[in-house]
Amino acid sequence: MGLTAALAKEDASAVTRALVVRAQNGDAAAFSTLIAAHYELIHRAAWKWSGNASDAEDVAQDVCVKLGRAIAGFDGRSAFSSWVYRITINAVRDMQRQSMRQARHVDAYAEVAPADHPAEQEEAATSAQLWTAVRRLPEKQRDAVLLVYAEELSHAAAAEIMGIAEATVSFHVHQARKTLRELL
Amino acid sequence: MSNEFPNDPFEQLRDAQAPAPHADARQQALAAGMAAFAAQQNKSSAPTQGSGWGQRLTAIITSWKGKTIMDLRIPIGTAAIALLVLPLGYQLYTSTSMTPADLAEQPPAVIVQPPAELAATEGQVTVPETVRKSVAPIAGRDQSIAAPEPAPLQTMRVMTPAATAESDALAMPAPQSSMVALPSQPSGDTFAGFDEQRLKSVVDEPVSTFSIDVDTASYSYVRRMLEDGYVPEPDAVRIEELLNYFSYDYRAAESAAAPFRPSLAVYPTPWNARTQLLQIGIKGYEPAGGADKASNLVFLIDSSGSMDEPDKLPLLKRAFALLVDQLSANDTVSIVVYAGSAGVVLEPTVATQKAKILGALDQLSAGGSTAGAAGIALAYRLAEQSRVEGGTNRVILATDGDFNVGIDDPDALEDFIKSKRDGGVTLSVLGFGRGNLDDATMQALAQTGNGNASYISSFREAQKVLVEEIGGTLDMIAKDVKIQVEFNPAVVSEYRLVGYETRALNREDFNNDAVDAGDIGAGHTVTAIYEITPAGSGAGLIDPLRYGQTTVAPEAGGEIAFLKMRYKLPDSDVSQLIEQPVTADVVYGDIAEVGVDQKFAAAVAAFGQKLKGSDYGSAMGWDAIEALARSGMGSDESGYRAEFIQLVRTASLLKPDGARSAPESDGDGKVPQPLL
Repeated sequence: MGLTAALAKEDASAVTRALVVRAQNGDAAAFSTLIAAHYELIHRAAWKWSGNASDAEDVAQDVCVKLGRAIAGFDGRSAFSSWVYRITINAVRDMQRQSMRQARHVDAYAEVAPADHPAEQEEAATSAQLWTAVRRLPEKQRDAVLLVYAEELSHAAAAEIMGIAEATVSFHVHQARKTLRELL
Repeated sequence: MSNEFPNDPFEQLRDAQAPAPHADARQQALAAGMAAFAAQQNKSSAPTQGSGWGQRLTAIITSWKGKTIMDLRIPIGTAAIALLVLPLGYQLYTSTSMTPADLAEQPPAVIVQPPAELAATEGQVTVPETVRKSVAPIAGRDQSIAAPEPAPLQTMRVMTPAATAESDALAMPAPQSSMVALPSQPSGDTFAGFDEQRLKSVVDEPVSTFSIDVDTASYSYVRRMLEDGYVPEPDAVRIEELLNYFSYDYRAAESAAAPFRPSLAVYPTPWNARTQLLQIGIKGYEPAGGADKASNLVFLIDSSGSMDEPDKLPLLKRAFALLVDQLSANDTVSIVVYAGSAGVVLEPTVATQKAKILGALDQLSAGGSTAGAAGIALAYRLAEQSRVEGGTNRVILATDGDFNVGIDDPDALEDFIKSKRDGGVTLSVLGFGRGNLDDATMQALAQTGNGNASYISSFREAQKVLVEEIGGTLDMIAKDVKIQVEFNPAVVSEYRLVGYETRALNREDFNNDAVDAGDIGAGHTVTAIYEITPAGSGAGLIDPLRYGQTTVAPEAGGEIAFLKMRYKLPDSDVSQLIEQPVTADVVYGDIAEVGVDQKFAAAVAAFGQKLKGSDYGSAMGWDAIEALARSGMGSDESGYRAEFIQLVRTASLLKPDGARSAPESDGDGKVPQPLL
């Protein structure tokens, strides 16, 4: 059972690698399959990081566009999904900074700026408070915590995504725990 | 959860489920991605020096740093901007320098920047105009990857940066409305619609014919919905199944040769002072304990992913463990699953090997999609393989509503079941869970397969169906039982059968042995209630015909109606007839005089009518129904009647008396109109 599961995973990643190579060579169908297969991951991560359904959809679209533009430059050093995570997390951060800045520029945007949507979905989750607190953590800590716990990735995978050493991921998680104790 | 951390608080994070993205948002995103990809392809295939530069630059950086793209761009990209496009770079730099320190690693900014900028400066202008235009305003924000977009994308992206807010505003209502609508539409279960039995004039249609029904699924379902705080939809309430859920103490038949005897009573209608109820009750013959009929049971179990809920597969396992305990050495059990692939989990095994059977059950786990597989064919093959002559050969299908058992076409499936039924293998259906239940199919299959359909909502219900009523479930004592009642127009002017809408037969079907009807198991009780209007009482709703023949009082003086029942013994294809007149002997003047069973049945009928918003009898208050049910409680050893009284109370809260003939959603919260 475990063996077949591992094989399936291996197959899947081999397929992904092949699709990436084909997309890099200009195969639009391959790219289409690739982003369709990763859209769930992108959207899910975007939602977990932003806590807002419509932001998540916007970010997911941004990420698709970025992937389209940047896939040629993907060097295959990390797993494709790690790369997608990285782009998604960066996109969320960009989006959040942008909306922060827009909030400061009280101009035409002010009226329609997405101020602070009540995070609708997480109300249903058991620990809305916890989520809010985690999302307010410093970015590195937040990313580490969400990758390791919400996305259930290994420290090694999280390190690959964050571009830092594995030990540093553990450090950030540790820091997050301390910070959170104050926040909650 | 806040201050002490008994466990790791972060463990809770994994429980959150992201909401499903909107299909259109997904489409749009994928389309945008494809457009970007196409644009990128065009750009890189265009013979411009700019892109050549860009690619080389990226390559150098990555190989030099030995790291992935995203991390490196920071120093190099910033340097490139600073050096190559000083004015623009300066502007960009000043605006971004306001942001906190960790902004330094905002890599996407630069990733595509260099090529575009380079292209512009080198004069090999591929997209210079757009770049200038977009860089200037966009420099203010740091969504920098958007900055150097080529023309085609620019139009696409108009949506995103500027209209982020608007798209938010647009996207907002959708999740909201679905969130709100959810609680009032709790079930994805489907029910076949049917029209209520109409009032009929005895002069026009003196004969009423229907097939008996021993199913009880509707009551379990209704109970579950009410207990969860919802008013079930009207089509989910089948009054005959409510009536037949309870067992009544009718006269038992003496022998298996004449397997049942009707019990009749006529008493005043609790919800209408001017009419009377004619109650027909039959009880199936119960063989003495010694006669243990051999049975050959094949469980056909749905193990699709949707079954992986506490009230589905785990409950089913416990329920079957109960059933297996009831079986003996001359019984065999086999298990077939249908899910991703059909498979035999347990070859026919003697029921005394309980450990082996229960072990096989324990190994079942839900997973995979309910894909078309030869599940049902396999189950029937096993049933035929270990067939017992003179015993019960039955396939028991347990599902939460996925009937993809290998035959997609419902008609073909019914034909298949029918042909197997004629070969002696019957089919029962056990429904589990909520949300996916396909009640109509369940009923249809069980009816076709000469079995029964039950809805197992809880362990208690499993106990009722599989232990207390095991005889009825497995041991059929008569099949194709039809009832025909002819009313005497001299005594009765109008009549209405309560319930049995889905079981109505044509008058000529009664004597046609080829027409299928319901089956009755050992000890089963079946109850039917007619509401009759005495002739000349003036309570009739149908005006007499002006030119109709004046009713000639028939010679059968005193007879109210004449009851005929047809049934076939289990291994016979020729029907037997039981006849009995309904005479004045069984008429009670006051409902207080009738037995507890009659009172209780009348209360159940009133409850069903009121719950489904029937045109008849809805005026009776919940209090009156409760009082009537209470007076009909009897000894109630198993507690089902007491439970019913609780249910009446729940219903009275959910659908208060004032809300008569209100739409079904009433009482469990209005469905708000979507905001858009």
